[in-house]
Amino acid sequence: MALLDRSEWYDVARATNWTPRYVTETDLFPPDLSDPFGLPMTAWEAFDEPYKVSYREYVKVQREKDSNAYSVKAALSRSKYYDSADEGYLSLLKLHYGAVSLTEYQACQAQGRMSRFSKAPGMRNTATFGMMDEMRHTQLQLFFPHELLARDRQFDWAHEAAHTKNWAVLGGRHTMDDIMMTRDAITTSIMLSFAFETGLTNLQMVGLASDSEAMGDFTFSNMITSIQSDEARHAQLGTPSIEILIKNGKKAEAQKALDISFWRVWRLFAILTGIPMDYYIPLKNRHMSFKEFMHEWVIKQFARQLSDIGLEKPWYWDLFLDDIENHHHCQQGGIWSWRPTVWWNPPGAVGPKERAWLEQKYPGWNDSYGRYWDVITGNLLDGHEEKTHPNCIPVICNMCQIPVSNRPGPKWKARVYQLDYQGKRFNFCTPVCKWIFEQEPERYKDFETIVDRMFSGVIDPPTLPQVLIYMGIGVVSNGGRDGYDYSWVDGHRKQAAE
Amino acid sequence: MADIDDLSKPLKTFSHLAKLKRRPSEYEIVSTNLIWSTEDPKRPWAMSPTVPLSKWYIQYRNESPLKHPDWNAFRDPEQIVYRTYNMMQDGQEAYVDGLLNDHNRTEHDKGLSASWLKTLVRLYTPGRYPIHALQMGSAYLVQLAHASTVENCAMFQAADQLRWLQRLAYRTKELSKFHPNAGFGTTERKAWEDDPAWQGFRELIEKTLIAYDWGEHFVALNLITKPAFDEAFLRQLGAAARNHGDTLFGLLSDAQLIDSERSRRWSKALIDFLVKVPGNQAVLDGWVKKWAPLADKAIEAYCSALPDSPDAASSAKAAARDWRKSLGLAA
Ligand SMILES: [Fe+2]
Ligand SMILES: [Fe+2]
Ligand SMILES: [Zn+2]
Repeated sequence: MALLDRSEWYDVARATNWTPRYVTETDLFPPDLSDPFGLPMTAWEAFDEPYKVSYREYVKVQREKDSNAYSVKAALSRSKYYDSADEGYLSLLKLHYGAVSLTEYQACQAQGRMSRFSKAPGMRNTATFGMMDEMRHTQLQLFFPHELLARDRQFDWAHEAAHTKNWAVLGGRHTMDDIMMTRDAITTSIMLSFAFETGLTNLQMVGLASDSEAMGDFTFSNMITSIQSDEARHAQLGTPSIEILIKNGKKAEAQKALDISFWRVWRLFAILTGIPMDYYIPLKNRHMSFKEFMHEWVIKQFARQLSDIGLEKPWYWDLFLDDIENHHHCQQGGIWSWRPTVWWNPPGAVGPKERAWLEQKYPGWNDSYGRYWDVITGNLLDGHEEKTHPNCIPVICNMCQIPVSNRPGPKWKARVYQLDYQGKRFNFCTPVCKWIFEQEPERYKDFETIVDRMFSGVIDPPTLPQVLIYMGIGVVSNGGRDGYDYSWVDGHRKQAAE
Repeated sequence: MADIDDLSKPLKTFSHLAKLKRRPSEYEIVSTNLIWSTEDPKRPWAMSPTVPLSKWYIQYRNESPLKHPDWNAFRDPEQIVYRTYNMMQDGQEAYVDGLLNDHNRTEHDKGLSASWLKTLVRLYTPGRYPIHALQMGSAYLVQLAHASTVENCAMFQAADQLRWLQRLAYRTKELSKFHPNAGFGTTERKAWEDDPAWQGFRELIEKTLIAYDWGEHFVALNLITKPAFDEAFLRQLGAAARNHGDTLFGLLSDAQLIDSERSRRWSKALIDFLVKVPGNQAVLDGWVKKWAPLADKAIEAYCSALPDSPDAASSAKAAARDWRKSLGLAA
């Protein structure tokens, strides 16, 4: 074939900046949507996306990937896998689809913003593929759960979740709206492409793919791996942005964007991934704890990427390391207790064997989280299921929208970080969430948490049945119950009998 | 009580599609009702309505004079999904690869006349700027879309524009290899910025890009600017190419027009969908009247530079106008 190599013409296709004459440059690239840091157009022309692909290659490769992913799906409709699938694992799937499918779709608009408003021609082209990728991820992650609707109505949340005001959805939307839907093109490339897609999607995608493989669900693991291969490509449009900002004296600005977004996404993904890994996957199928996974896939790799690019670890790195030991254990307790409010069936799954595993992976677990579960186990053994449902209203963090909760036990350090702003008191789970709020209070101050809405009259009357309806429970599907119908307590019963 | 409301009954499809009373297509399952920022017109995002991006969505999308009570009811007439788009375009790209390969082997570019090469370097290869600008404009339609079914059409359109930007870059490089001193790859920016033949399109496109109201942007981009550009650049320059022995350009522009026709089909479907709502016809007509003269001016400036093509401008203008008329809009 006498065809030219991509490298021969690629640069011509990204020599597309021109000097506008009939409109102003500020009108063409409004700083609020484009570049609020004020770098000249020529500075952005140095943007060099590390992963290059042509349209010709793209449609060919993506066609092949889809042919692969969808052929596994054809096999799925014949297989009986999901008829006998573990309920904890099904909860992982329901949580994943509800949280992820439509989030992928909003990302199309974020990529569209970079494609239109970036002053870097290379970013504009790469983000055009990026938005196509996100369309793919949406479509795959709607098509697959659609197949499961006939067996379980909770899979309807794959499409409906984002259209409800479920508390778990509000947390996800608040984070995503913050980091990818209301930021200029350059900040989006740091927050979405670098902090989220480079730093943390591995967590969701690689982690879940290996879990589902261990569960024998090759349909899902294959799909997720295929999605991750797209992410790995378009995630790379964050690095050149940061390099250009640093080169032009804007390191502090880039660092701050990273610090805000990394924390926000972390708080969310620890729930999405950490809880399923350490609690929903049956013990015999667990191959790595969430903490081990974080150290292997996120901390080591991401810290190296940060230093390669010339940024520092976020200022809260120690708090982050501490959060890895605690956040998802707290939320497992919280979500399980509030199981009627979610669209999956979270298993308690802390029988004697599971507890031994948790203690080994997280030394001190028994003395802290274990005590919390002792009370619950005791109530279940005594036949007081009703006592396992809390009757107090949690405090919700005004940033991450997640209930404020800390490690229980003798070294209990439960506390709320508070801030009074314009006559209103705001509560935060950690100094980091509080710090993010303080960076731009006007941006965040008027968002009502689910609990605020009970007191402000948005949820009226603020009774439990009404709150559930407000959150889509009993509307889209029934709410959750213990995934194993408390069978994990049996081990404790035997122990008690011995 | 319908099954859909009885939570103990399983679902055959997503609940939002159950009202169809038939099995939804793959397209409907994966493409409909996917945007979460349209539920509260005063607050598109969880962030304060006063942050710049929220204000932008409120002003330019939610408060656009172009209205529809149910944007989500729009359907792509071809029901294209990501999977089928790639199949289609992989086939199309294989065809283009074949064209390029054949013509390279026969040293097609070597045989082009000196005068035609001057036309190419002046009126063809600078086209990467407008083609890319149309990509940017299409991405804007994506960013601010009211409904996922509209957004998807705009995404495919943006990807199509990137396709032809890259094919044009490819041709620029290839021509420069056969004719290293003809200015290919070095003079395009100057031509786009200064050559009088391009200034009409440059003005039209720059102004289209900053027409930030979603409705006006759609009209200016999809009904005016893109059709005008395609008529002049693909159809008229393509015709001139055939007369000057540039077989390859003629075939490539035909291939590109396949994508342009798809853009027109979904644009027409959207107009049909919109004019059913009282008030929209007048709004659309107003925008067409505002933008069409600028497009005619652009076509005239460009086509008057085409060699041996005295009717090019009038043909291109008539084709663009006839198409707008076929939509039932003021032409
Ligand atoms: Fe994605
Ligand atoms: Fe992504
Ligand atoms: Zn928080």
